[in-house]
Amino acid sequence: MNRLLTPQHLKWLLVSLAVVLGTHIPNLPLWVIMASISFGTWRYLLDRYQWAMPKIWALLPITLIICVGIIVTFKGFFGRDASLSLLVVMCSLKLLETKTLRDYMLVIVLAYFLVGNLFLFNQTIATFGLSIAPLILLTATLINISFKDAGKQRDIQFTLKLAAQLLLQAVPVMLILFVLFPRIPGPLWGLPQDANSGMTGLGDSLQFGNISNLTKNSAIAFRVQFKNAVPERNQLYWRGPVLWHQEDRSWTMSSSKIGLQPEIAKVSGNPIQYTMTLEPHNRLWMLMLDLPTLIPQDARLTHDYSVVANKPVRTRLRYDAISFSSYQLGLSLGERERLLSLQINEGENPKTVQLAESWQGLSAVDKINTALKRYREQPFVYTLKPPRLDDNPVDDFLFNTKRGFCEHYATSFVYLMRAAGVPARIVTGYQGGEYNPNGNYYIVRQSDAHAWAEVWLAERGWVRVDPTAAVSPERIENGISDALDETDELPLMARPDYPWLKKAYLNWDSVNNGWNQWVLGYDDKKQLDFLKKLSGKNLNLMHMLIGMVSIIAVIMGLTTYFLVKQQKAKLNPAQRIYAQYLKQLKRAGLTPNNGETVLHFAARAADALPHQQTLIMDIAQRYNIITYSASPKPLLLEKLAQLIKQFHVNKQQ
Amino acid sequence: MLSKIWPFTFWKISYWQQWFRVAKSANNVAILNPRQIYIVPTRWGLLYATMLIGLLIGSINYSLSLGYYVTFLLASLGNIAMLHTWRNLLHLQIAVSNASPVFAGDTATIVLKISETKNRPRYVVAAYFNRQAEVINDIKANDVQLFDIPLTTIKRGLHSLPRLTIYTEFPLSLLHAWAVVDNPFQLLVYPKPAESIYQNNLSADADVQGSSQLTKGDDDFNGHKNYQVGDSPSRVDWKASSRGIGMYTKLYSGAGIHTLWLDWLDTTGDIETRISQLTRWIIDAHATQQTYGLRLPDTELAPNNTEAHYHQALTTLALLS
Amino acid sequence: MQKTIQAIIHATSHIILGKEQQVKLSLTCLLAGGHLLIEDLPGMGKTTLAHTLAQVLGLGFRRTQFTSDLLPADIIGVSVFDRNTSSFQFHAGPIFTNVLLADEINRATPKTQSALLEAMEEHQVTVDGNTHLLPQPFFVIATQNPKHHIGTFALPESQLDRFLMRITLGYPDAQSERALLKNQGGRANASSIQAVCDADGLLKLQQQVHQVHVSDALLDYLQALIQYTRTQTNEGLSPRAGLGLRQCAQAWALIDGRDFVTPEDVQAVLPSVVAHRLAQDGNSNIAKQILDQVAIT
Repeated sequence: MNRLLTPQHLKWLLVSLAVVLGTHIPNLPLWVIMASISFGTWRYLLDRYQWAMPKIWALLPITLIICVGIIVTFKGFFGRDASLSLLVVMCSLKLLETKTLRDYMLVIVLAYFLVGNLFLFNQTIATFGLSIAPLILLTATLINISFKDAGKQRDIQFTLKLAAQLLLQAVPVMLILFVLFPRIPGPLWGLPQDANSGMTGLGDSLQFGNISNLTKNSAIAFRVQFKNAVPERNQLYWRGPVLWHQEDRSWTMSSSKIGLQPEIAKVSGNPIQYTMTLEPHNRLWMLMLDLPTLIPQDARLTHDYSVVANKPVRTRLRYDAISFSSYQLGLSLGERERLLSLQINEGENPKTVQLAESWQGLSAVDKINTALKRYREQPFVYTLKPPRLDDNPVDDFLFNTKRGFCEHYATSFVYLMRAAGVPARIVTGYQGGEYNPNGNYYIVRQSDAHAWAEVWLAERGWVRVDPTAAVSPERIENGISDALDETDELPLMARPDYPWLKKAYLNWDSVNNGWNQWVLGYDDKKQLDFLKKLSGKNLNLMHMLIGMVSIIAVIMGLTTYFLVKQQKAKLNPAQRIYAQYLKQLKRAGLTPNNGETVLHFAARAADALPHQQTLIMDIAQRYNIITYSASPKPLLLEKLAQLIKQFHVNKQQ
Repeated sequence: MLSKIWPFTFWKISYWQQWFRVAKSANNVAILNPRQIYIVPTRWGLLYATMLIGLLIGSINYSLSLGYYVTFLLASLGNIAMLHTWRNLLHLQIAVSNASPVFAGDTATIVLKISETKNRPRYVVAAYFNRQAEVINDIKANDVQLFDIPLTTIKRGLHSLPRLTIYTEFPLSLLHAWAVVDNPFQLLVYPKPAESIYQNNLSADADVQGSSQLTKGDDDFNGHKNYQVGDSPSRVDWKASSRGIGMYTKLYSGAGIHTLWLDWLDTTGDIETRISQLTRWIIDAHATQQTYGLRLPDTELAPNNTEAHYHQALTTLALLS
Repeated sequence: MQKTIQAIIHATSHIILGKEQQVKLSLTCLLAGGHLLIEDLPGMGKTTLAHTLAQVLGLGFRRTQFTSDLLPADIIGVSVFDRNTSSFQFHAGPIFTNVLLADEINRATPKTQSALLEAMEEHQVTVDGNTHLLPQPFFVIATQNPKHHIGTFALPESQLDRFLMRITLGYPDAQSERALLKNQGGRANASSIQAVCDADGLLKLQQQVHQVHVSDALLDYLQALIQYTRTQTNEGLSPRAGLGLRQCAQAWALIDGRDFVTPEDVQAVLPSVVAHRLAQDGNSNIAKQILDQVAIT
């Protein structure tokens, strides 16, 4: 059984492993890639020059060094990145002692596993495409190894073609399994910490610079599909965490909010129904349009009307929601809430406090208008590149630099209000969105991240005030790209410069959206929904399993039929015409026997149909001449066709 | 059902063979039909399946849709490979073409004729009586491939062939499909010849007259040949040599009259030993082109020196009970 | 050309009454350049057929009766010492002719048989290291008695392959029988007929056979036939037999006056070409079985 393998087998193995390694390059540290390449090259040279294989004791130190390297690089053996690197480097090290069938098989099976691991890192369409080549190559390598007598050179094309054929034939059953195999909601056990690294999104605090960092990120935060009317763009405020507590430069959710009674909301007008598809961001926020009333099952509403999930959003979530754009929130303000919403640190930003105190006597509404008027009339500039602020950042911003971004306006405004004795808080979230006509949905990106203020007014409750709108109405009406000077850096996709690029991008995004919805988002819930739609009733696990097994059995039966079925030979023109003639004769009950020649059959037919004897014999002679003589002429073929047209069999004969 | 799928490869397939359906030969030809082909995963297949389970668990744990895709594609690939492996044996026609008799203890070569009639090439088909001596070949579409399969013989006599196993693991080596074929062909095994020390006995009963002319006869003049040392002087064409053109020997031919009788009674020991001795004598007599007859307790073969006679004599001994 | 062929058949059929098919087949065998084995009971006209063919074709004819004491030298020839020239002189045996009738070939010892068959294959004989070419064309018609008579040596399978065709004559039909009894036809009249051809003419005809077109479709059919014998019967046709089958079909087509081969030609000659090579297991209907089973492409 422990057959030695040939150089040709080795070449196949090395090439396919190289391709597997190539697909993993972004996921591996450089030294692992270099080590794997050098082990592969070493193995090739061993074979090329017939050097002796390294002894096990010579490989031991290398193994040790690799282990140490992994520990140093990843601070341990565990976790997604570390295990992948370990697998890759050990797989290539294994090559150095690979000479029998057993070793080859181990390496190939491991390589298949590595292809599966590709999707731990991302699941885009591109990665999907990337996985096809290594699968074909590995299968071809298996086929090549199955040719035991590898002394004979096998055609590369043949092997690759067969591998591709096998994989193609495997697709139908794969699809059935994909759709019907009962999906078990994961995870089965705790995920390694780095499993969700790289997810971006809104933080739970606001510091200067936080949001402008997000703004440079064109990644998609979520997609929204409205069921009926789409609200005005300036109403598209996607509510996230609400920040109450100010501490130096940062605003956070207050820890002393625990136990606060939920604010009471009164809504009016038409409900806005929509479906959200939220990208995973590894935090609890579930963004909803202001003001949410219906929330998803696995989430709860905070007292200040943020929606938080029960566990961090690590998979793409899709949920239906209802919001109202006209509402009254928190008509009565409790004592603790009043204190919290007026909190500012003493002794900071004296100029701002002084300005606010100068408004004493004005009503709350007038105070707001005065403040907004100040933003509008003084030379405030909306920019992604604000200058650094000194120790009293609000003072510095309001009286000195006057250049900033939504977070500057929101924080300074709320600070001003609190100093003036008006309860206020910051709401973070997203504003606006990009309409994709291809799929009839809105795309909201990280670059649409926004912060605004809510001010409490007696009789009216919490009222949304967006100071950014006062400075830069374009930001709210048209999106961020219109609000900025050209010097500001915006992600390519958020810029208006290349309409065709944008169009292509929108097309691509709708494909991506479908991919996300139907391929990546196909989980246990979606599976049940889909099957319910398909079959018209609720299916349980048993139904699914029975359905799956029976459909697979049918597909296997069909595949077997096509695999075993003998291929018919193609007919040449003369044979085709002659076949028509035979069909005619069949009506008279005459069919040629297996070994009967054309002339013998014609003689038999002529006996049965005496008055067509000449014609029948003539047809047979001509057919023979066309088929067997040295130079069949087109004219002969034409003549044969004519003769056959003349020939008719009546059922009576 | 297409084929039987055994969940495990048992430690010895041969143990289970008594329970398997066997492809019987009619008119020497056995056709492998779907029900006679069995298939189990090889140990690489089991390794592959383990890897798939690993992938499935990973996909569930990380909720990876594309992880499911790879898992299911590879699982389906294994399934398709099963059909292909099975198909690689399906409808093959197996016949025994030829097997020359051998002496007991020697290795006989059974020439199998495996025919492909379904217009589809078959790759890496192996056949064996004994796993250690398997023969692997490709079979072209609509073609016949001869498999020379060695078979070790032990005892003299007419033996039925043991059951032949045909298997393939093509295309992925993940699955092992096999069929067991019964063929009524009977292999003739000549007795094992004794060591040649008994050769002395040969002359005891031999009726020797000439030595070098033994088989040539001396009845009719048949031409000339160049003189060789040892040719009888009476046969030299002296008339020719007197003319100084060299020495020629006159050739005569005729049925050999110098007959050697190989007699059962001249041998000693038990039956098998005696048969061995006679076998050895026949071989030696045939090698030296002598005319010999065989005398057994209840049969007698008339003297002759042809190839057919040689085989007939050995066959008689092989079948002696 | 066609006239010559028709004349040959006509003239021969005058002597061999009611056996046109067999005459055509023997001529086919001759034109294809192979040797013919006629198997039948004594007195069925085997010798007459051979003799007549030779005469009609204007070829040299020798007849050798094979017996158990016939020696190879008796056919091939001997080197005899010539006193006058003081050297060995080769005395050519009866084999040095155009048409050799080897009567009752199965009566000779295997040694003699194989000497003849070797000469048939090589178209030359080697005696004492000297090679002597046989005349062209060279054509052996061997006859053999099919019944298992005592004292015969059946031709071994390997030797049978050297005969391109084996035919049987069979009893004449009633009409021919009567004509024979009236002393029309038969061997007595064989010496009276005129040659319609000569050796050169025959060689030309043999070359003509090679010109007959064999299409790919026909080759497919031939291959299917050969393949069938290899897969479905115990012993398949050898490549030599396959080649012989093609040549015979070509010759048959030529006799029929066509310049291309059709499956009909193949079917006409197949029984004579394959039967003696395959019918080892007593299956005399093997040719019919093959023709019925193999589909024409």
